[in-house]
Amino acid sequence: MAEIATSPTYRRAGGIRRLLERYPFLPALAIVLVLLALNGVFSPNSLSYRSLTGLLSTYMALILLAIAQTYVVYAGDIDLSAGSILSLVNVAIVVLMERWGGGAGAVLLALAIGLLIGLACGLVNGFVVAALRLQAIVATFATSIFFTGLALYILPVAGTPAPTIFWRTYGGRLLGLPFVFYILAALVVLLTVLSRTRLTTQLLAVGDDQQAAYQTGLPVVAIRIRGYLLCGLFSALAAFCITGDTASGDPLVGGKMTLFSVAAVVLGGSALSGGWGTVVGSLLGALTIGLISSVVFFMGTPSEWQNFVQGLAILIVLMAGVLAGRRARP
Amino acid sequence: MSKLKLSGVSKAYGATLALRRGDLEVLAGEVHVLMGSNGSGKSTLCKIIAGSVRPDDGRILIDDTPVTITGPRSARAQGIGIFYQELSLAAHRTVEENVCLAALPAKAGLFVDRTALKERAARYIALFDGVSGDGFSADALVGNLRPDQRQLVEIMKALASEAPLIIFDEPTSALDRAQVERFFEILRDLKRRGRGIIFISHRMDEIKAIGDRVTIIRDGETITTLNLGETDAGTVIRLMVGGAGDMPASQSSVPAVVDAKDGAALTVRNLSGAGFRNVSFEVARGEILGFGGLHGQGQSALLRAIFGAGAVASGEILIGSERFDAASPRDAIRRGCAYVSGDRGRDGVISGRPIIENVTPIHYLRDRLMIARPSKLSDRVAPALESMHTKFASLFHPINSLSGGNQQKVIIARWLIDRPDVLLLDDPTKGIDLSAKADLFALIRQLAAEGLGIVLYSSEDAELLGNANRILVFNGGSVSRELIGADRTRYNLYQAAYEAA
Repeated sequence: MAEIATSPTYRRAGGIRRLLERYPFLPALAIVLVLLALNGVFSPNSLSYRSLTGLLSTYMALILLAIAQTYVVYAGDIDLSAGSILSLVNVAIVVLMERWGGGAGAVLLALAIGLLIGLACGLVNGFVVAALRLQAIVATFATSIFFTGLALYILPVAGTPAPTIFWRTYGGRLLGLPFVFYILAALVVLLTVLSRTRLTTQLLAVGDDQQAAYQTGLPVVAIRIRGYLLCGLFSALAAFCITGDTASGDPLVGGKMTLFSVAAVVLGGSALSGGWGTVVGSLLGALTIGLISSVVFFMGTPSEWQNFVQGLAILIVLMAGVLAGRRARP
Repeated sequence: MSKLKLSGVSKAYGATLALRRGDLEVLAGEVHVLMGSNGSGKSTLCKIIAGSVRPDDGRILIDDTPVTITGPRSARAQGIGIFYQELSLAAHRTVEENVCLAALPAKAGLFVDRTALKERAARYIALFDGVSGDGFSADALVGNLRPDQRQLVEIMKALASEAPLIIFDEPTSALDRAQVERFFEILRDLKRRGRGIIFISHRMDEIKAIGDRVTIIRDGETITTLNLGETDAGTVIRLMVGGAGDMPASQSSVPAVVDAKDGAALTVRNLSGAGFRNVSFEVARGEILGFGGLHGQGQSALLRAIFGAGAVASGEILIGSERFDAASPRDAIRRGCAYVSGDRGRDGVISGRPIIENVTPIHYLRDRLMIARPSKLSDRVAPALESMHTKFASLFHPINSLSGGNQQKVIIARWLIDRPDVLLLDDPTKGIDLSAKADLFALIRQLAAEGLGIVLYSSEDAELLGNANRILVFNGGSVSRELIGADRTRYNLYQAAYEAA
């Protein structure tokens, strides 16, 4: 027992810090709760079952896009084309569904093709960033323009409607429960499964120190490409949700969402430098962004001031989150 | 039968030859020690074996079969494990994850098998039970550990490779005695099981305790291989140093004592900080004070701290007779302190910008220059560059178009427009060709003659012996010996540096 007091400088991490180390998304969770409470103060009605369901179905796309972004951020990369992949998949599936008649079979087939498009985009990104070693931030900015170009070719003007069966299902109920709840449940299962894969640990190890991972003998290039593949896959899933929510195709729908997804990842406590983060945090980060817009609206902010207040609120929340999250990082 | 045999392996980085001719033969069941001074090519040789550096030439044989090692993965597949001197750990992962990272145990080919991972890691963690210290556990994050504990994790990781041949590149530099002893027990056990081990250390006592044979490398060339049982420390050091080791500093042009012109340029009293402790010295105007010793014994940390780029815990610094506590490099520059780092890429070069912009930043700062006219600046820049025979096409070519040596001359020219009082040189000739070195040192000696106080840290002993009036040898963050006058010999420098740390 005499050894215990030997080295005070490197003491074992304290209670709060250990908690944050294990659950780095706790600050994001606290912020979500605070924002929910604020929503309730300004408009008690906004906490109703109906409103919350509406909030979830509107922001499910951003949640999925933030999760997509998280996997590349794990490895210290970034994907500025995630929103464009979303747009491309959105217009592709809407056009295919319409062309094939809009039946249940056509919808499912179009969704399968949407997933393949997402994966293909991810592969392109992974190839240029990891194999060709271009800077992720510039390379994916370039591919985003490329993907948007494809989307505009497929559907030059926004407005083609999605088949009724598709958006009715997304916005409707199944066995008495809103459909988005099933999506959320499926998402939680999927994320749990993914968090236990070797790939997640390898992505984080690469993000921590790429040179060290290489010297350890990890296939760094292949791992980073797989991260982009996951990103493309989740971007396609996000596209399904945006199609269900807006019920139409729009070749530019995802453009603004890319940087929101990056913000959500940071709000969720992940490090943009890689090696540190959780997908649950990104989910909460996306919800935070949704709740901020909702609070700004219910506060009765004049419409010309809404962007200003929203931006300010995101800055404040980022600061709070970063201050709390910084304590957790070794 | 030899486990591993290298013959005629070489590696050049641009113009610098890191390894000229590496020969090495490691037998099964032996601890083979590699010895050589800083930059002699030991680490390059190890990295070639481990696959993280591709050799330009030469043959590698494993179990008498020629092999090509294409990368760290291929090296592992051929049965080679390595402990990296600079460590290869993921700071945000746990100890057990790091130990097993190279081959994560899988369930269904896709998922991490946590139970198997814990079991496997526990085997290696248990090897160091009782000496791993407070706060060390399988689920601790590596980033939260002390330096010695991190080094233990890297050792466990190397052991977990279960490779028939394991390389340990300075594995004991941060460990305490109990940890080293435990580690040696493990090595002896590996020896008994017929593994081949390559071991690099700078501590003579450790080499005696664990090594069977030693291969000595000097200036990128394998000199010889000896049985450690049949030799002594003096012989080994003499072989590392080369023939002229016992002669006094060969370039006797440097006087041992400088005429104390007008007192001290820089005085440091009892300075402590991260990486160094309780250092005191004085540099007279016109004097070149050398810092010697093995790499990373606090020399760089001390110089950076004086320049305001590192933290000082206690002690005082004076420039002239004035108290000088630079809060930042900006502050230090304003008050007449200059610092040139050997790591040009990180600390010096403004990459991609024209040469003129690379020469003038200090001038801007010291003159509080707001608006610059290139034509007028050129008049001030040109003489500074010419004083070192810098070769360049025009002042407006990007600095990257120059060779390493000429880039470093540009960096030094920065400080010549407005003369500083004190010049701190932090291994300034790293990766520079010989003629550029000669130009640099000619200039440095001239600056000293003009009354600057100069501190020169160099990892190359010849530079210290050839230019410094006095040499302080660093060991473990403090000054272990001062070499003056005829004591300034290669042999003494080595001995002081290699004394049991």
